[in-house]
Amino acid sequence: MRMARLALASRLRWSAAVRTDEELIADALAGQTDSFSELSARHRQRVERLCQRFFSDQEIARDLAQEAFLKAFAALSTYRAEMPFGAWLRAIVVNVCYDELRRRKRRPEDLVGDFSEPELGWMQLVSTATPEELVAEAEERRESHDLAHRLLDSLKPEDRMVLVLKDSEELGVAEIAQMMGWSEAKVKIRAFRARQLLRKQAERMTSAARPRVAK
Amino acid sequence: MNCFEARQEFRAFWRKEMSPERRSAFVAHLAECRKCDAAFRTFALTAPVFHSEAEPARPMSGVRRVATASHRDGRAYREVRRAQPWLSMAAAVALFITGASAAYFSVATPDETLSDAIHQPSQFAEVVSADYPEAYSDFGQ
Repeated sequence: MRMARLALASRLRWSAAVRTDEELIADALAGQTDSFSELSARHRQRVERLCQRFFSDQEIARDLAQEAFLKAFAALSTYRAEMPFGAWLRAIVVNVCYDELRRRKRRPEDLVGDFSEPELGWMQLVSTATPEELVAEAEERRESHDLAHRLLDSLKPEDRMVLVLKDSEELGVAEIAQMMGWSEAKVKIRAFRARQLLRKQAERMTSAARPRVAK
Repeated sequence: MNCFEARQEFRAFWRKEMSPERRSAFVAHLAECRKCDAAFRTFALTAPVFHSEAEPARPMSGVRRVATASHRDGRAYREVRRAQPWLSMAAAVALFITGASAAYFSVATPDETLSDAIHQPSQFAEVVSADYPEAYSDFGQ
């Protein structure tokens, strides 16, 4: 009996210690900035990971994540509990990354430039290795990420945004349309064009690398 | 597994979220379908960014790599010499300059030169010359 009471007390203490996002937001709005720190610590990893899908440089990704948290803190009073805090925060992160992508204005001709030896090695592997080997090697090789970023850099910011949200974040067309303020038709067309362009760029990339790989 | 099913599974295969049986069926399909195989290889070019949980760390270079490696297995000196041959030379020059400066400022006050300090009779010479004025009358001149 005593043991059961102790277990119940400890469970109550635990539930009191782990507050929900909504409770933390209420506390933050009441002036407890520590609550927002706890909230951001809880979501930091996911936010930084999302930023890294747009920018290969980890410092830039971290800076953008920080900027997104600052914007979220400034706009916290506009948060409505109808949607999860994570989804609300994701919309802010996506907007921050989108602005940064547009600010940077990529030049597609940069894509087929000089490849480093490890990048050439990775491209050779992509054309020759078995699917199992590819998955295992991609985890180990930094160049697989660098090359993927180079390939994605050739897309327009809008196209890259749609692909990240659709393929990586696994959002539906309607959700993306709402987040970006576009029509659903526009999202579908963007996604289709982005994939088509990506395929072409991948072919250009591998054909540009082939003579050098053969040497 | 047909082509439509296989293409739905690209993501799950990359994230290792498939059962072993399904995984084998997927690999077998790619082995016999050239179109799906090519599509998977195109997918593999962007999958590291879209579907990996973490990016591998960027390879470190220079002093940072050496510091980390030597800290890990205690071969600091050899590692430094191999990776940055100029570093030991720079350290030797810095050590020489520090030593020379220390020697200079320990004997000379700011107002006198090193040569003055060397040619000045020491306290010992003054004590000895006081006892033996004839023998040390020209000491230090």
